[in-house]
Amino acid sequence: MNRSLKRIILITAVLTILCILVLHDLLQGNWGIIQGSWENLSKFWNESLWPPEWSMLEARKYPECEASFEFFCSKAYIGMLETLKMAFVATILGFVIAITLSPFAAKNLASVWVYIPVRILLAATRSLPSIIWAILFVVVVGLGPLAGVLAMTCYTVGYLGKLQYEEMEGVQNSPLEAARAMGLSQPEIVTNVVIPESSNNLLSQLLFMFEYNVRHGTVLGLVGAGGIGYYLNYYMGFFLYRHVMAFLIVILVVVIIIDLISMYIRSFVTEDGDVKRPSWSTIFLSPSQAEKYHHSKPDDE
Amino acid sequence: MASIGGSILSNSDLILSVKKLSVGYEEELISGIDLEINSGDIIAIVGPSGIGKTTLLRTIAGLIKPLSGEIFCNAPRRGGIGYIPQKLGLVRHTSVYHNVDLGARSGTPFLSDPKTWFKRRHTRVVNAVKRMGLSDKFSEPVRRLSGGQQRRVATARTLAQQPRIILADEFLSELDDENISIVIEAVKEYLSKSNSAMILVEHNIKRASELSSRLLQVKDGKLEDYNLEDLKNILKAKYGDEVIS
Repeated sequence: MNRSLKRIILITAVLTILCILVLHDLLQGNWGIIQGSWENLSKFWNESLWPPEWSMLEARKYPECEASFEFFCSKAYIGMLETLKMAFVATILGFVIAITLSPFAAKNLASVWVYIPVRILLAATRSLPSIIWAILFVVVVGLGPLAGVLAMTCYTVGYLGKLQYEEMEGVQNSPLEAARAMGLSQPEIVTNVVIPESSNNLLSQLLFMFEYNVRHGTVLGLVGAGGIGYYLNYYMGFFLYRHVMAFLIVILVVVIIIDLISMYIRSFVTEDGDVKRPSWSTIFLSPSQAEKYHHSKPDDE
Repeated sequence: MASIGGSILSNSDLILSVKKLSVGYEEELISGIDLEINSGDIIAIVGPSGIGKTTLLRTIAGLIKPLSGEIFCNAPRRGGIGYIPQKLGLVRHTSVYHNVDLGARSGTPFLSDPKTWFKRRHTRVVNAVKRMGLSDKFSEPVRRLSGGQQRRVATARTLAQQPRIILADEFLSELDDENISIVIEAVKEYLSKSNSAMILVEHNIKRASELSSRLLQVKDGKLEDYNLEDLKNILKAKYGDEVIS
């Protein structure tokens, strides 16, 4: 057994023992609490969750449905669409604000007097969970999707801002030095060197944030900030978990679709984008496999 | 007290004047540098790696502060110095056009005629890219080019900038003989037309002597005129007899 393998086994063993000890402390030694948990879950699943109430995917009785597909008049579709709209607007707004702030928070682009206060600002917006922001904005602008959009925007600024400035700090020094020696101004360097150089990861983060906001948009409804969360909250209040289950399945399907779309979009801008990938089937393949699949070569010399 | 100034030299031919300059990071690498560079000069600095050649270029480019001494550069702060770093400093995810345009953007005065700024930049980019034989690669992302092509893009960026002084760090490495002659010819043509100057750091002494009008070496922490015997001894001590043969 070589040394690195021994080290991995040792670290894994230490971490496992540490986790067990901490959990023991959390449970105050009462491991009996786990007894019967599987039976409880099974009972809850069979009696309250499954099968889902598929009528949530059918048209509402009022107002009368005029769409060609009944699903487009269902509570699940209307709620989900509202959540998607909220997440879209919040992600774009948050991205624009974050990309404006993050160059001021990057160590390699700003002085210590600038990046420390901007980092504190970003940390402040991030430290409040979006649901707390939602409560604040419900108080400020009232119930509805606007409160949700503003809450998600604030959280997005903090979260995305941190990812962005860390990405910008990771940009290679060489292009920055060439641009500085040429005498380009700081805004020119940020827009023409830093952002293009980190664009792949910035796009990846943007798509991730959209997916994150869709998932979290469902929670914001709990405090009256609109979207599918409104229906989740409503049916949970009446303990109608089969209805809730139907909505959760819709959320799961939408999140999977968003993930697929983001994988597809990213496949064009990452290094993998050098490989021609004209079909959806190849987005799961590695660049070399995709290349083999299409019998095409990147245009490298 | 170190200082970097611009446009204060009375002699219009003088592009760079360095007096009692010491460069380094925490430790001093090269000290007591006195150097004057006039238009048309091509100065090559040779010597083994790790002795401060790149640090000297970066100091002259204004990227790091000198430890002591003075640098006066008779070139505008914007677009006056063209720097080709060892790693080329290209924006890998953008096109050849974008990269060359960075040079054109810095070197094309905006205020003299704002209406034609984009057009003038475009002309510079097209000419520089053509000169480097990359006309068919305008929209190609730089990351997809070979090492030699990337070096030509970096050179095109500097040609499009039209600086008063070019600082090039090992910019001929990775190029084959044909590409070296394309690049050298283009750079020499630019320097003679524009009365600009160039400082290059080069490992290959033969190549450096072919390109330059003056050959300098770094020895015992000092910058001095090249002496073949001295350099042989340095290389012998560092790499052994085989390198010399």
